[in-house]
Amino acid sequence: MSVICKDVKMAFKTAAGSVSVLKGVDFSAPAGMLTMLVGPSGCGKTTLISLIAGLLRGATGSMQVFGHEVSSMSASMLVPYRLKNIGFIFQQYNLLAGLTASENVAVPLVASGFDWPTALSQGKVLLEKLGLGTHAHKLPSQLSGGQQQRVAIARALVHSPKLLLCDEPTAALDGQAGQAVMTLLRELAIAEDRAAIVVTHDPRVYSFADRVVHMEDGLIAKVESISLGKPDVTTHSTSR
Amino acid sequence: MNLVAFKILLHDKAKYVALVLGVSFATLLISQQSAIFHSLMHASTRDILEANQADIWVMKSSVETLDQGYPIAELSVNRVRSIPGVQWAVPYYQSTAQLRTEDGRMKLVQLVGIDDLSMVGAPQEMLIGTLAGFHQPDAIVMDIAGYTNIFPGVEPRVGAIVEIGQRRAVVVGICYIGASWSGMPRVYTRRSLGVSMARETLNPVTYVLARAAPDHSPEEVAKQITKATGLKARTRSEFMDDTQTWILKYSGIAENFGITILMGVVIGVAIVGQTFYMFSVENLKQFATLKAIGINNWVILRMIMTQALFVSTIGYCLGIGAANLFFAMTSTQLSGGLRGMFMHPFIFVGSGIFIVLVTLLACVVSVRKVLTVDPAVVFRG
Repeated sequence: MSVICKDVKMAFKTAAGSVSVLKGVDFSAPAGMLTMLVGPSGCGKTTLISLIAGLLRGATGSMQVFGHEVSSMSASMLVPYRLKNIGFIFQQYNLLAGLTASENVAVPLVASGFDWPTALSQGKVLLEKLGLGTHAHKLPSQLSGGQQQRVAIARALVHSPKLLLCDEPTAALDGQAGQAVMTLLRELAIAEDRAAIVVTHDPRVYSFADRVVHMEDGLIAKVESISLGKPDVTTHSTSR
Repeated sequence: MNLVAFKILLHDKAKYVALVLGVSFATLLISQQSAIFHSLMHASTRDILEANQADIWVMKSSVETLDQGYPIAELSVNRVRSIPGVQWAVPYYQSTAQLRTEDGRMKLVQLVGIDDLSMVGAPQEMLIGTLAGFHQPDAIVMDIAGYTNIFPGVEPRVGAIVEIGQRRAVVVGICYIGASWSGMPRVYTRRSLGVSMARETLNPVTYVLARAAPDHSPEEVAKQITKATGLKARTRSEFMDDTQTWILKYSGIAENFGITILMGVVIGVAIVGQTFYMFSVENLKQFATLKAIGINNWVILRMIMTQALFVSTIGYCLGIGAANLFFAMTSTQLSGGLRGMFMHPFIFVGSGIFIVLVTLLACVVSVRKVLTVDPAVVFRG
């Protein structure tokens, strides 16, 4: 297992008092597989991946990502950890508006110390793979939603991260574009040494997962292992 | 990552232009007002600047500023000449007088009586005529701005006849003098003629202008003059300082310009600060994305500082360029209150440093927001 979370608890302080969002989550995401994290709004999916990414802190329990205990890392350690190990794909793409597609893809490499020409050429190669070679010079505003999300996929993968975290990657896309994005994710993101976690509400894309982890009310309700194209082959519940 | 910073900055052209214009406007306001203030202070010592052959000014002990010269006895000139270390000393007369044109119009003028023999104190830049003209009977030399004020619409020329203090006077030359503190037309003449025009009979000297001998310091000689004569003797630079200090203290000019310059500062800080803050807030999600990807706060800080320095440099160049254009257009005029005004190099440098500091200050406020943004916001659609 490349991502192993054990008894993760997280609470937020609000004006009304402390709100428990994660109530003792045991979660894992193996390398070489696409794990989908599904569940109703407010069940704690985004909080869980934010904790795994080191974007949120303050949880109790253990969160091991490729051997790193994320919960014990300092804020300054988390920044290079993210840069080196994690690729992000966001619901709203979050591309930098002033940068072209290839420049957006190059950002993680430049941040890792590559020079711009090298980073740009690597970015262009990846964009070619994603079918966006002719759009490499375009700004995000000149691309469709599906194309933007493909640029975001390229940006997430360009530095070969060990963990890919996708937050509702198809939510802003129509059905066809969503299917296309998920197909690409399966083709490019799955690698033996990489784990991919996709948070989604969209049941139409469950079929792209190797595992579907259902969350409810801050707990893992159910984990399904799926053979591609044949969902619900194995079902076992871990709800408390 | 500086390239990313530039691209983010330049992408929203409207905001970029607003930022640059804000900085430019603040620069223009601050540098132009500072330069006018400095030029006015410079102009307040106009006679001292013109009589640049003298390095010591001797006057009645009660004199505090150049325009307050009181008449002193003519004998004072010889007393100053007798002091060891004085190379030469000449009388200098300064007064206001009433000028009447041939068609009966009256003007109050600043009358300057220069030494009949040495011509020390004569205008430096003759536009029409020469200094030799001073030796003609009833000769006066007028400054060009004064001439156009007294004879509006008349082509400047020698030969115009006026009456000063009920004495006939003939314009034998026209000179250029930078703007003076009083703004009155300036009329130069021989001192002997000037005192009669001003109807001064008892004490026909306002200042004694002197020069220290080559092996004596003006400061030391001035002290010796004061000690021996009881008159106040100041070196050229000391008297300029006295005059400017008096003006700063009693005229209210410092407060007036200070308020305007302060407004420039406030407007600059407000415009630049507000626009930069809005700019950063609107780009907050982009910065949060960078933070989520794994770019540390130092790099983000450097990116924002790069943006601020770039904006302030472009804005400063435009603003200082506009201020210089203003002075290029106004300072070369022969008449008008802004003639001869200029921008001292320290205003170039000072306003540049100030604008960079203002922009960085504005930036610090917005940086705080960016540095403290929770990168987890990237997961909130």
